[in-house]
Amino acid sequence: MADSVFDIQKRSDVMRFITYGIVAMLLTIVHLVFLDFVSFGGVSPDLLLLLCIWITMHEGQFVGLFWAFGIGIFLDVVSIDVVGTNGLAKLIAVFVAGFFYVEGKTNEIMSNFRFLAIVILSAFAHNIVYFFFYIKPSEISFFPFFIRYGISTTLYTTVFAIFMMLVKMKKKSL
Amino acid sequence: MQKFIDFVVKYREYITFVSLTVICFSLISMGNINKIGGFRTAIFAAVAKLQHVITFDGSSGNTNPSIKVLRELNLQLSSEVTRMRNATVENKKFRDLLGIHSISNSNLIPAQVIGKTTLEVRYYLTIDKGDASGIKMGMAVRDDRGLIGTVIGTSENYSFIELIKNRDVRIAAKDQRTNINGIIVWEGGRYFRMKNILKTYDVRKGDIIITSNFSNKYPQEVPIGMVVNVKEEAGEIFMLVEIEPFVDFNTLEYLFVINMIPDPERQKLIKEIDAKITNRKSILKRGR
Repeated sequence: MADSVFDIQKRSDVMRFITYGIVAMLLTIVHLVFLDFVSFGGVSPDLLLLLCIWITMHEGQFVGLFWAFGIGIFLDVVSIDVVGTNGLAKLIAVFVAGFFYVEGKTNEIMSNFRFLAIVILSAFAHNIVYFFFYIKPSEISFFPFFIRYGISTTLYTTVFAIFMMLVKMKKKSL
Repeated sequence: MQKFIDFVVKYREYITFVSLTVICFSLISMGNINKIGGFRTAIFAAVAKLQHVITFDGSSGNTNPSIKVLRELNLQLSSEVTRMRNATVENKKFRDLLGIHSISNSNLIPAQVIGKTTLEVRYYLTIDKGDASGIKMGMAVRDDRGLIGTVIGTSENYSFIELIKNRDVRIAAKDQRTNINGIIVWEGGRYFRMKNILKTYDVRKGDIIITSNFSNKYPQEVPIGMVVNVKEEAGEIFMLVEIEPFVDFNTLEYLFVINMIPDPERQKLIKEIDAKITNRKSILKRGR
């Protein structure tokens, strides 16, 4: 009896992880093909970062780190970027987000404004790392560039996180 | 042994984080793999096909073929105007002596933009022509208004264009009126900047900036933009020259790939010198 419960749990974990993988692939396509339609002045939301934070808030920091690394490297490979930059940036973002994970309280955390604060903090850490490597080969000054693009990308990503929060709020109220 | 296992289990998040960070740094240290190749080409071709199905078309949504013809005509006229302006500021004989050649319009491959990719302040375009149309990596791209970018990847029927509005791009350019040379860079925002312009140089608001013959990447005399701001800052020997590009990168529909690849001998020489300078710098650093 105990074995079958364990099997069901294991199967459900596998299914959940497969779902994460499929969503990651779909969001990568959205990133490459459609994201330009919602970009303002070259600033676009980082949906894959939101997915990484979502996974971390559900599975914990340890699992989130692997997903962040995988998703980041995959994005680096399919986009035209230095391989490792998105991987590193997402890894650090998830490491930060992971400190706010409390087992069994995922829905509670994600359905209030605390979740937005987590996204802002993680996206901020992500963008500091990403833009540091972005401007490294050029003569661009970091701070003016980061204030212009890093902060706006952080805020724009947070706007999209509101939708995630609303979904959780709705689920909680049901 | 048990203590070690307990330690690993207790600090597994930190150990994982450090290990994955080291892997990322190792991958980054492999350098800027900025060109498409292998697996990336396959992904690029798949994404381009998807973009073609969606048929992204600039801002107007007008696919009337007469627009294409008008654009070509406009390009010819634009090139003509550039040449005419040059003729007034350059001595014909001097030009002949230097062997400055203009680009013939027959060397242009027209193409339509089928996709735009914006990824973390990096801007790329996908066009509906590729290897089959004779497009090769390194070719410059322009439209009737001015310089757009370079081809950084091709598949049989598609090409991937890196816009000049990117951090790594440096364009050898000159002021059309005074022939003063500088380097155009993009540092974020609406305007480009022209570097290495001494305060004593004659660069004024309203001057037109074009690519210079010093460029090893772009053909000469392609319009880039107009000087909109010239600032002199105290304590600096260079001026701050801001340039508004002629091309509106948000409304690109049709463009032209210039069927001319940079001279490989010149490219090789520049790479060799770059490597020597980098090597010398690292020796100097180690010496300190």
